[in-house]
Amino acid sequence: MSGNSNATASGAIERLWKPLVARSRSKRALLLMAPLVIFELLIFVAPFLILLRISVSEAGERGTAYAEGTWSADAYANVLTSEVPREVIVHSFTIGLIATAIAVAVGLLYAYAIWRADGFTKSLLLFSVVLPLLTTLVVKTYAFRPLLSPTGTLNSLLESVGLLSTPLEIVPGLAGAIVGQVYIVLPYAVLAIYSVLATMDWQLVEAARDLGASRPRSVLEVVVPQAMPGIIVATVISFAWSVGSYAAPFLLGDDVTFAMRVEGQILRDFQWPTATALSVVMIAAMLVVISALVAVLSRFGGEVEYA
Amino acid sequence: MSEIELSGLEKRYGDELAVEDVSVTIEDGELLCLLGPSGSGKSTTLRMIAGLTSPTDGTVRIGEDDVTERPAYDRTTATVFQDWALFPHKTVLENVAFGLRMQSTSTDERRERAREMLDRVEMAEHADDNPTNLSGGQKQRVALARSLAVNPDVLLLDEPLSNLDKRLREDMQIELREIHEDLEKTFVHVTHDQDEAFTLADRIGIMADGELVQVGDPHEVYENPKNRFIEGFLGDTNFLAGEVARTTAESVVVETELGQEMILPSDGDDALAVGESLTLSLRPEVLTIGESPVANDADPETATVADGGTTNEIVGTVENAIYRGSTVRYSVAIENSSVFVERTVADSGAFDAGDDIRIRWNGADVLAFREDGTRVDL
Repeated sequence: MSGNSNATASGAIERLWKPLVARSRSKRALLLMAPLVIFELLIFVAPFLILLRISVSEAGERGTAYAEGTWSADAYANVLTSEVPREVIVHSFTIGLIATAIAVAVGLLYAYAIWRADGFTKSLLLFSVVLPLLTTLVVKTYAFRPLLSPTGTLNSLLESVGLLSTPLEIVPGLAGAIVGQVYIVLPYAVLAIYSVLATMDWQLVEAARDLGASRPRSVLEVVVPQAMPGIIVATVISFAWSVGSYAAPFLLGDDVTFAMRVEGQILRDFQWPTATALSVVMIAAMLVVISALVAVLSRFGGEVEYA
Repeated sequence: MSEIELSGLEKRYGDELAVEDVSVTIEDGELLCLLGPSGSGKSTTLRMIAGLTSPTDGTVRIGEDDVTERPAYDRTTATVFQDWALFPHKTVLENVAFGLRMQSTSTDERRERAREMLDRVEMAEHADDNPTNLSGGQKQRVALARSLAVNPDVLLLDEPLSNLDKRLREDMQIELREIHEDLEKTFVHVTHDQDEAFTLADRIGIMADGELVQVGDPHEVYENPKNRFIEGFLGDTNFLAGEVARTTAESVVVETELGQEMILPSDGDDALAVGESLTLSLRPEVLTIGESPVANDADPETATVADGGTTNEIVGTVENAIYRGSTVRYSVAIENSSVFVERTVADSGAFDAGDDIRIRWNGADVLAFREDGTRVDL
């Protein structure tokens, strides 16, 4: 039975493979990429073009999202000149930069710990990273509210021990939003860095120590540059996600991020041109910041292999 | 002074004893080879000298200082690793200058010194290359330069030549020897290759199962091995099982598996009981071979001539001949056993399978070992 299905499967593969092999190299590559290209065109490029088009439309009459077929730069002017969108952008980038810095720093230490551990400890550390990924983002983010709010577990614990007289205002607040956001992106940062560290030879660190580098120095001189491709991936993931964060600042923060504002403008206020213009501005700003981060980080490490 | 003294050094991983009670003094300026099969604890011993592994017992002294508790970066040793461990994101020059940078040497000075070291190992033209693009031999040279750049008191080499091909390895052995003579530093070199140990070493320390079995100059350990393991490990030999048949004032007569008695001269220092089991070692270089005499004896297969007391002779049939380049090795069937002998290609008198061959040796060249592997002092 299984032999039979195997035979059919391999037969099918062969039928598909043969004409593919017959093609020239570049055509074969194109053919193999075709499903992904089609997917991206349908799911990303086409909607993005529609979004771009809406962003240069006039605001709609009462009850409509935007005026179809019209052209206007008003939305961009509004985003770039008025106070509120600028505050939203600054707030989003603040969360993004702080959460990224913390996630990457903690991620590096944690990945290093996994790399150096062996046996049961290693499995435990790895499992602990993956575990939060098994719970939905909203549930685990929401769990911080009873934990960190002024009347929450942490504050009552600290008060009962006598360390605090007035409760810490973590949630809702910037600190709470950042804690929640770091918790969301940390597993990805850890795994991105660990995947690179795992291929590294511990002997390089030994060689550095043997030549007189202290423990912290050997990590800085050898481990960090070697792990840089992973650190860059971790930075890009953490940053892109955190700037665009919605759940953590919504549930734990006290200020509006760009994702929250876009949602409000689209679903509540029916201001699609301003919402889409804000999105386009944010995408452009993030591309600039991420390119700058990658350029700076690449300087510190070995070549990033974009393979 | 950079004499190294290891005393009672032990490394235990859980229940497993990797290194057991290693004690040796390595003299200032000496090149000691730690030789042993893989898993014998030689690399672990080296790592304990380097400070990369901490011993579970015993002490390491370098010069006047007890460095047992000192981390690697605080020791005056430098290690050349088996896989060379060059920093892949640094240029060759930066690799060599690394140790000096850790010592906060000024940029100009460390550049100059690094170039000097690269010159010494003939790698100056590769100073700005990425080490990952170098060949094995070149990496090895860079690793050596990197370790020498910090001007260590002790250079530790952990099988740095084992990943090179034979020709390159032999060239590097000579070069290492020259560098050692130039620098007059203490070198500890770990290898599993006895030829390499014999080429390089002032003294060889042979390790087996975590223990340092014997330390001595190459001649001594080869000619005068302490036990059967060393005899078997250092070059090829024929081990023959036997039993003491009788002892006289100046000889021991052993009944061997070759089906004949063998006479070993003895001054009777070591008491042997009749009937005691022994293993005899007949190295191919002590065996002289010749054509079998005309078959005038009743049974030429087992004919023995024991003239003058200790010359032994035996006749057997060549089973096969293996051409090994400069030598030919014959496997010779005698009784139910077989012995191998060698002839250099230049010598006259080739044998073919099926030929009778006469093997002769002096009983004084035969080493005998007890059942527990210890050497019998004949």
